[in-house]
Amino acid sequence: MNFNIESPTSKEELLNCLRNHQSGYFRLAAGFTDLLIELKKSKTEELTVINLSQIKDKQFTGIDIQPSGIRIGALVNVAQIGKNQSIRKSFPVLQQAADALASGQIREVATIGGNICQASPSGDLSCALVALKASCEILKMDGTIRHESLNDFFRGPAVTSLQKNEVLKSIVIPANQTNKLKSGFIKIGKRSAMECSIVSISYHFQLGADAAILHSGIAIGAVAPTVIFCREAADFLHKLNVNKIHETDQLKVAELIQQSASPIDDQRASAWYRNEVLFNSAKSIFEQD
Amino acid sequence: MDENLIPISFTINGEKVSKRILPSLILIDLIRDQLQLKGTKPGCLEGECGACTVLVNGSAVNSCLYMAVNIDGKEILTIEGLSSIEQPLHPIQEKMLEHGAVQCGFCTCGIVLTTKAFGEECKKEGKIPTRKEVKKSLEGHLCRCTGYVKIIDAAEDYLTHPSV
Ligand SMILES: Cc1cc2nc3c(=O)[nH]c(=O)nc-3n(C[C@H](O)[C@H](O)[C@H](O)COP(=O)(O)OP(=O)(O)OC[C@H]3O[C@@H](n4cnc5c(N)ncnc54)[C@H](O)[C@@H]3O)c2cc1C
Ligand code: FES
Ligand code: FES
Repeated sequence: MNFNIESPTSKEELLNCLRNHQSGYFRLAAGFTDLLIELKKSKTEELTVINLSQIKDKQFTGIDIQPSGIRIGALVNVAQIGKNQSIRKSFPVLQQAADALASGQIREVATIGGNICQASPSGDLSCALVALKASCEILKMDGTIRHESLNDFFRGPAVTSLQKNEVLKSIVIPANQTNKLKSGFIKIGKRSAMECSIVSISYHFQLGADAAILHSGIAIGAVAPTVIFCREAADFLHKLNVNKIHETDQLKVAELIQQSASPIDDQRASAWYRNEVLFNSAKSIFEQD
Repeated sequence: MDENLIPISFTINGEKVSKRILPSLILIDLIRDQLQLKGTKPGCLEGECGACTVLVNGSAVNSCLYMAVNIDGKEILTIEGLSSIEQPLHPIQEKMLEHGAVQCGFCTCGIVLTTKAFGEECKKEGKIPTRKEVKKSLEGHLCRCTGYVKIIDAAEDYLTHPSV
């Protein structure tokens, strides 16, 4: 492995770096936990890595809480997300996904932006953020910002809408519209520590009077080419009392969730097994607490 | 070739160091090959085993997945930095011995450093961790010898007696 590295420390330096390298071979990197593993297996002689991790700009590194929602800079690491009190309170699904990601040593350096831009179907933060209907703020080389929902940002395994002249700057999660929540992250792997998901489910229900589900988000990971938002299941649950969902309705939700998946066989699990686990985990959402 | 080298300055085990390094140098190679500190172990080199764990500004990270350029201005602690003439073994290391948590020892340095970082974090939050939390804090470490129980016993013993 032998590449060149450039470490911009501000947004302006970053934009300059991007301009200088448009005609060459370059990669962006933040925590390097995905990229280094990839680069160790590839030819890197002509490569320049633009190292984002020394950028000091708050827009990239901060967690900003506004009445309309919360903005998380792309360089915020997974450990910071897991420990943030506002996230813990308002978006438990994201906090749980952060705590379930890899190990303490990885969480300390892996970034939210890297998790998203890696576009792995089993990305834990990606899964939670799709359920939360998050959107991306993408910085273009000319300094302007492009907005796109995270759901649309994912185009396939390891493929996003990001262009060569763009960088993910931050992620915005819309504020909850009610205070009562049922929100959580289910991750099924081969073992409980350090495991990439075989199946993951994120759910975030905002409840009104009588625990009626007023706004719902459900996303599934590792069972399709991208993280999938389960629209039919979310719509089906509208206005139902979250504490009194009949068993037939629980089965219906599990079925609708399963229908949005298209799992494959790989080294971690077979498609059949993924389907079974997905169905049973989906059913368990309303059995918990 | 030389103009490709990048200057970095950092503190390692309390000592200030300035170096010019290859851009793609990985922290574990800087520590083992250039600084000759062999207590940091190369295991999987893919972030799975934790044998290469060091502390960067007090946080445990895998030195096999950390770019050396990114330690510029930071403080590194390796296992060598835990001992002094007056106190050759750190209390965590004493606990590891007491509980029989060391067999071949390949995983030990990393586990000791992660436990140190977690201990500091608990102290800051003023909490005594539960056994479950102790176990979770060690999830980034593999041990091929002990079966983990004694390691968790040792870490728990240390972490629940913070005055030691
Ligand atoms: C041992 C191990 C275990 C893991 N376990 C898990 C797990 O349980 N769950 C999970 O979800 N992931 C896991 N991962 C994957 C990885 O740690 C995460 O995806 C992490 O969040 C990536 O973040 P990073 O900052 O390290 O990304 P990097 O490696 O720096 O970058 C990843 C990709 O994103 C691009 N990129 C990064 N930042 C930006 C940006 N701001 N704008 C545009 N592009 C960008 C890079 O070009 C690269 O293609 C694991 C990895 C390892 C090595
Ligand atoms: S050698 Fe770094 S985690 Fe295994
Ligand atoms: S004691 Fe041998 S690997 Fe842990």
